Amino acid sequence: MKRLILNFILAFLVISSAFAQDTLKVKKVDKPVRSPWDSEVLIDNQTTLSPPAKTLEMFIQHRFGLINQKGIHDLYGIYAPGANIRLGLNYTPIKNLTLGYGLTKKNMYNDFQAKWVIVEQTRSNRIPVAVALYGNFAIDGRSNDAFGIEYKFSNRFSYFSQLIVSRKFSEWLSLEATASFAHFNMVAAGRNHDNIGVGLNGQIKFSPQSSIIFQYDVPLKIQGISEQTAFTNLNSAKPNFGIGYQDETSGHSFQIYITTADGILPQDIYMNNHNDWTKGDFMIGFTITRLWNF
Amino acid sequence: MMNKINMNKLLGLFTLVILLGTLMAFMIPQGQKQGAKWEISQKYKKMVNPYKGNKSDLKMGKMLYSKYCKSCHGSKGLGDGSKSAQLKTHPGDFSSAKFQAYTDGELYYMVTVGRDEMKSYSKKITDDEDIWGVISYLRTLKK
Repeated sequence: MKRLILNFILAFLVISSAFAQDTLKVKKVDKPVRSPWDSEVLIDNQTTLSPPAKTLEMFIQHRFGLINQKGIHDLYGIYAPGANIRLGLNYTPIKNLTLGYGLTKKNMYNDFQAKWVIVEQTRSNRIPVAVALYGNFAIDGRSNDAFGIEYKFSNRFSYFSQLIVSRKFSEWLSLEATASFAHFNMVAAGRNHDNIGVGLNGQIKFSPQSSIIFQYDVPLKIQGISEQTAFTNLNSAKPNFGIGYQDETSGHSFQIYITTADGILPQDIYMNNHNDWTKGDFMIGFTITRLWNF
Repeated sequence: MMNKINMNKLLGLFTLVILLGTLMAFMIPQGQKQGAKWEISQKYKKMVNPYKGNKSDLKMGKMLYSKYCKSCHGSKGLGDGSKSAQLKTHPGDFSSAKFQAYTDGELYYMVTVGRDEMKSYSKKITDDEDIWGVISYLRTLKK
């Protein structure tokens, strides 16, 4: 399965350079393609979109409970206890660089993040893909008791870095492939500190403001970086699949979806997601963003 | 018996329509004023749309109109968007001869500089070519 996904991502990267944009012939100046994505975030993932410079963006990201635990009795997880929420603020000081801070209910993660869009896909296809680097540093905000007897402040730290390669194939289809590395300074016995993952995300527009979005993130089981002799349910995370609807207006982006992982923060998703989408472990979630231009 | 039930349903529906109609009458803005004359310098008036006739720009203009303009100006530019009732000034009728008589440069000024409730969109639509695309699309709303 993993090999299949890796092959698919490699095929995507190769094929992406073979397509041309329909705007190619009429452009003399090689500008970046227009609106490669409708939002900076795509369910749990980042896109290669960075808002115009001096834009402040507020995020509200919410995950309800699992839909298959009590069914109608908790309205498919909407009224279940233990929902997760992240409130965040991003600012784009200069073109293609976005900085942000967020606070997530799960483990009270305080995250500080940065995204740099290194290159943008151009209309002439001279640059066939957009490439971005995303990274964050999070501080677990729970009380000291959660970190055992020998408490050190640095035990709270976790890190995530991701390379994103995307392409707008046509006015209605954008796809991106990701390669990620997650690290936790402190983990429970029997678990790994590091993990690598890959992912494939997409956006299918069906009107100027509306689109279908999907994601598939796969934490890999690489023995070479594992500290354990074998992978078990305890030390390996499950893939994260999500699909939903996105609507965009001048100052807002709204996404509603079903997704597998409850972590919101990507390092938690790649390390700690034990929900299995093949067994129907989905939760309803939504993201609302509000943009202000200065 | 059957006719009585149908009659009751019909009366209920009629009452509902009257109630909604009364409610709507209060929701429609009563004191919305017409926009004053735009004061635009010759510099803008003389500007020409360098992307006139470009189909790709027109397509993008339609998309941007839908994203940034439709909520006030309405899908056909009649000034009947979902937010228009909240405005103090009527957003205007893009299909009218009066509006279509503005030069491309004057429309460029309205979009990029703006005034009052019609704020500047130059920070949201950052590429000049895209702004001209919106203006090309506004021309297609002529009756």
